[in-house]
Amino acid sequence: MSVLRGFLWLLIFLLLGQAVVGLFRLPMPSGVIGMLLLTLFFGYRGGMNPDVVHISQPLIAMLALLIMPGVVEIFFVAGQFADQWAAILTALIAGTLLSVLSSLLLMRRYLPASDAPGMAAGNAGHE
Amino acid sequence: MNDWLERLSQLPQQWFDSPIAAIALTLGAYFFGIRLFKLMHRPTWCPPMLIAAILIAVTIALLPIGIDDYNRGAGWLMLLLGPATVALAVPLYQQLPQIRALWKPILLTLPLSATLAACYAVIIAATMGAPKEVLASLAPKSVTSPIALGLAEELGGSRALLMGALLTTGVTAIFGVEWLSRVLRIRDPRLIGLALGINGHALGTVRAFEISSAAGAFASLGMSLTGAFTAVVLPLVWHLFY
Repeated sequence: MSVLRGFLWLLIFLLLGQAVVGLFRLPMPSGVIGMLLLTLFFGYRGGMNPDVVHISQPLIAMLALLIMPGVVEIFFVAGQFADQWAAILTALIAGTLLSVLSSLLLMRRYLPASDAPGMAAGNAGHE
Repeated sequence: MNDWLERLSQLPQQWFDSPIAAIALTLGAYFFGIRLFKLMHRPTWCPPMLIAAILIAVTIALLPIGIDDYNRGAGWLMLLLGPATVALAVPLYQQLPQIRALWKPILLTLPLSATLAACYAVIIAATMGAPKEVLASLAPKSVTSPIALGLAEELGGSRALLMGALLTTGVTAIFGVEWLSRVLRIRDPRLIGLALGINGHALGTVRAFEISSAAGAFASLGMSLTGAFTAVVLPLVWHLFY
């Protein structure tokens, strides 16, 4: 029952997110707004609802599963982009590797080393 | 006997009339994908999602049903995308003290990283002569799927190509972060998490949770901030050029 109660909490915050998106005409999906609202709510209450914690783990693990149905379609419309594949794949693979490299370098430059035990040891390597 | 065979041949069509068959196929392919992935000793270049997507595509091609029949049913599963996004509030809240301490450097570096993630791909594709429709489908490639779908629609991109781009980007980002953080000797889980979330959206975030919950929380943060930032900035910049 706890899982269902947690799910209801998530649905309520999703609906609240939808309301905020609609009222303020935000160019963002209601899920993201709902997530921010729920984080704020936890902060206001000073703790998390255990029901929500129970449901969140399996749902987050499902996020990867949930893009799969959309991916299937690409195999059926591939012919439409037949002459573009070289450009598309180069852009995606080279572009992503480049952006990973620049974000890692940027973050390493500007993120201060953590003082938490355990992480500090890991950080010492590159400081 | 003939009558019976005919009824049997209509079975797939009947199954896919309701969403149950599509959902079962998706879940079945997912678990099969994970199984095969483990049997293949977890290759970074071929994630379980790719195996599963190929398996579903082959099944649809073999059965007398179309991709539209499958999409209609799988749409019900996609409804869970909303609550799953809201559920990210849990890791986000757990890491709030860490994030609060770091908001300045995050705010400095994240918009630049998110912009670069979109720019590199668009510039490479444009110089190789890709048309506008392809560029519009590639630009939101590092953004989590509910936001990316809305963006591609607004810019005039293809939904199917975008989803393919999301998968390729996610896989490449996971491989890239693991490889480059080893080369650069970065072991800070916060940094690895952020890089996974900014570049690899939900796929990267799920991977980050496998590393540690701190990495996962920072990945969720990176993913949601990249999504929010790109959702606001990309349409504005896009309409300057097109």
